[in-house]
Amino acid sequence: MRLNIVIGGLLAMMAFALAALPAHAEFDDGQINKTSALLKGKKVGFVPISMGFDLPQAWYEGLHRAAELYGFEVLVREANWNVQAGAQAINQLIGEKVDVLIIQPPEMLAYAKLVDKANAAGISVIQINLKSPNTGDAYVGANWTEIFKREAQGITAICSRDKGRNGKIALIQGALATSGSQIGSQALKEFFAGRKDIDVVADQAADWDASKARAVAGTILKQHPDLCGFIGFWEVQDIGIAAAIKEAGLQGKVVLVTNGGGEQKSNCANVANGNFTMDVSYDARGQARDLTTVVESLLQNKPAPPGSHPIGIYSPLTNIDKSNAALGCWSLDGVKRDGP
Amino acid sequence: MSESFSRWRARLLPGHIIGEILSKSWIDNAIPFLLLLLSIAFFSPRISDFFAAYSLEDNSRQLGELLLIVLGETIVVLAGGIDLSVGATFAMSTFACLGMFNALGWSVPSVMLGAAAIGGAIGLVNGLLIGYLRLRAFLTSLVTLIIVRAIFDALTLKYQIAVSMPNQKSDLWDFLGNGSWFGVPFSLALAAAIGLLCHITLTRLRLGWHIQAVGGARRSAYNAGIPVGRTVCSTYVLSGVLAALSGALYASRLGAAGSDTGVGLEVAALTAAVLGGVSLGGGRGSVVKGALGALIVTIVQTSLLRLGLGSGASEMILGILLLVAVAIDVKWLKNRLKVLAKVYVAPGYLALPAAEVVDERSPYALNDRLNAVELIGLGEIEGPEDVILDTAGNLYCGSRHGDVIRFFAPDHKKWDVYAHIGGHPLGHAFDRDGNLIVCVSGMGLYKVTPAQEIVKLSDETNRSWLSIIDDSRMRLADDLDIAPDGRIFFSEATVRFDVSEWMVDSLEARPNGRIICYDPRTATTRTVISKLLFPNGICMTLDGQSFLFAESWGCRITRYWFDGPNKGRSQVIMPNLPGYPDNINRSSDGHFWCAFVGMRAPTFDLALRMPGFRKRMVERVPHDDWIYPNMNSGCVIKFDLEGTVRDCLWDRNGVNHPMITSMREHQGHLYLGGSLNNRIGRLKLPGADPEWTGMRSYWQGGGA
Repeated sequence: MRLNIVIGGLLAMMAFALAALPAHAEFDDGQINKTSALLKGKKVGFVPISMGFDLPQAWYEGLHRAAELYGFEVLVREANWNVQAGAQAINQLIGEKVDVLIIQPPEMLAYAKLVDKANAAGISVIQINLKSPNTGDAYVGANWTEIFKREAQGITAICSRDKGRNGKIALIQGALATSGSQIGSQALKEFFAGRKDIDVVADQAADWDASKARAVAGTILKQHPDLCGFIGFWEVQDIGIAAAIKEAGLQGKVVLVTNGGGEQKSNCANVANGNFTMDVSYDARGQARDLTTVVESLLQNKPAPPGSHPIGIYSPLTNIDKSNAALGCWSLDGVKRDGP
Repeated sequence: MSESFSRWRARLLPGHIIGEILSKSWIDNAIPFLLLLLSIAFFSPRISDFFAAYSLEDNSRQLGELLLIVLGETIVVLAGGIDLSVGATFAMSTFACLGMFNALGWSVPSVMLGAAAIGGAIGLVNGLLIGYLRLRAFLTSLVTLIIVRAIFDALTLKYQIAVSMPNQKSDLWDFLGNGSWFGVPFSLALAAAIGLLCHITLTRLRLGWHIQAVGGARRSAYNAGIPVGRTVCSTYVLSGVLAALSGALYASRLGAAGSDTGVGLEVAALTAAVLGGVSLGGGRGSVVKGALGALIVTIVQTSLLRLGLGSGASEMILGILLLVAVAIDVKWLKNRLKVLAKVYVAPGYLALPAAEVVDERSPYALNDRLNAVELIGLGEIEGPEDVILDTAGNLYCGSRHGDVIRFFAPDHKKWDVYAHIGGHPLGHAFDRDGNLIVCVSGMGLYKVTPAQEIVKLSDETNRSWLSIIDDSRMRLADDLDIAPDGRIFFSEATVRFDVSEWMVDSLEARPNGRIICYDPRTATTRTVISKLLFPNGICMTLDGQSFLFAESWGCRITRYWFDGPNKGRSQVIMPNLPGYPDNINRSSDGHFWCAFVGMRAPTFDLALRMPGFRKRMVERVPHDDWIYPNMNSGCVIKFDLEGTVRDCLWDRNGVNHPMITSMREHQGHLYLGGSLNNRIGRLKLPGADPEWTGMRSYWQGGGA
């Protein structure tokens, strides 16, 4: 009898305790609540070169999905390939006091002062895939020196005089002021310095514009009809070079190595159909993931002061050629549907 | 009932203000100003921190850089040209500045000078080709754009990296692009200072007038002796220098000169200029217009960027705005003068007392007394509004060619041009020293010395504070007379109309005229009596303390005391004349002559009491068909200070003197003039003192 009362009392206490618990209790793993609280309500500014091509669209997918999940805001400003407009947009975002600013500088020095200005205003700065000499808080993107080393190695392996070809190659840079282009140019100069088996017979710029690239490549091919290959600086621009090669009837005879984000249509498809011989991919989808990770990290662990401990998250590179073109890329439509 | 309503309406509602505002030269700025307000009203609710300090500072910095280029472009367009090369000049300057500062390590002032020199050199190329060799501006500046851009591309290809690597740190250099004074960015301060200089040059200095003249009518400017080639060349040099300065500020701000620097800048500058109302054909424009346009473009661009619209949206909206602005501007340009002509005339209410009937019993009865005139200068003189004679008997009169004609005594058959002043010399008077003082309509008060030297006495009086029209200028100086102490009192018939349109003032029937006093002892001019209904003739009374003046549309003669115990008092001595009095002069028997330039008619008197009718007429009926007072017939009367008519002379058959504007008695004869006549009449006055002259009456015979 007394045992029944004790058991009944214990059961009652348990019921009472259970009833006192909230109706839909999430299991607190010790971190999720803190993370949600730190991310909620924050503002992230995003100023790519333009939202009009595949790379920023992929990066944005990562960002806005995380934003919806955690309740922070992503403010996108369209610079439309214009340095002036981009600088203005960054100034506006600094004035609006965003918490994290993600920028993609179209020119090496254009936003350098703005990075410092943002840091001084207490804003963490991430630079995506292209950077100014000063990092800010993080650089998420490709190691351009490494990319161009791979390109140079790739073309040397085919065009070198030691391999039986004539060693004549041409460089078609992007916009000279862009850091990727400058670093690339420097890296290639160092690689080819003093080499006897390769001659750089032409070095022109195409401003990231496919039509200009086509015109320039066409002229170079006329000057050097026996050219072995081109080193291009970006797959979207170098479609123009491929077109010029096709026009000259030299497809398959002239080598074209380039680099890019690894999107199916611009990268693997062009390698598969013979436009590009090799395309070094820095996997923009993976970069989207990295970018989101760094954003969440900076929002939870704000550096004090911003800019004091910069880090670099360099993207792993893959050489895409005919052997792995079938599976080496991601699709933008897929990323838009399912996220990175 | 409706008449008193009309009267009160005309008195209370200042309808003439609308026309006066529309006639101002700055009314052209109203449309871009409206556009500016519209764009602010549109964007500020959509952008939360539109007016926040950082946003204003950012936008002002952009504005400053754009404004420098727009200033240059405005000046070039004002002179009738167009400068499409500013984008390339901007880019070249940016590159050069970075090179000078980073690679060569020059100091900041040297860099700025170098940039200005480069901009000036490019501008000079444009200027020499377009100004001196007379090539087409559009194509030439386009070619310059292409060539300079190509040079820029070639240089950046080679030296991009060398030029971009920062070599020295300079606070002054950073301040140029990023610094502010009390929240005002340096670029805006510089642009404002230069804008002020440009405005002063354009509106008040000779170079600016030359620029506007060349833009307005190049051939006429050339014929007038303006150095057209040099003027056009200087505008291009200026544009180049300003574009280069803007490039220097950009170089300091961003520290980079990529290949897309300055692309499309010429379009932005032209958009700003046209939005502001600068006419692409040349001759119409101002610094304020350019600044308004630049402000609108900056606000629209930055707001669209801030709203995060997709690629190309900003350019498209700006393009649509430009289209709308151009359409409004063209319509306004075409119709402004039409609207102005309709709106400017603002008829008022004037109720004259009923005119007395002129029959045989009236003192104004018609007669043939003027049939017996002898004619002087028939067919040789045009428009002798007033005549006067000196002690030697020479006769002087004005002509509509701007001359003072002298007919030699004693027969007045031979004549010469005594002085060529300009305008249309109206009232004449001799002063104590024999100088001929003349009121010249359209110009002011002039003096011709016995040595035939022309001296301008006055063409400017004090400006009234509440008048929208600049009434310090004289438009229609009509008649004058000289007080014993030498002060000259003269009438200005109307401040609202020029001499070519003086008849329209009769339609208005507003008190638009005034009497002005010029004091030769102090060389000052002051308005003495204002708000008169077309004051015309003035004549000193014999007591030396008052003068009589006629108000033509007021149909009355008033006596005003300017001196003595009654100073400031006025008394209407002839209130209800049957005609429109013109000049008044002394007669030999102590009374006064007055000429009637026309006679009142019942229709016109009725129309004056119906301002609504006259307003509708002005709006709907062509100018040539407007109702006017009768000015085809008039007479000469002699009256005394009590207002009694003592004599009246008509030319009933109207051959010689249908309309008389003045009469002058001299040695027993009366000389008649008419401002639309081509002859002077001389009538013998039986019983008049054969020795009496005006000179003796005024100055006891002194003078030449």
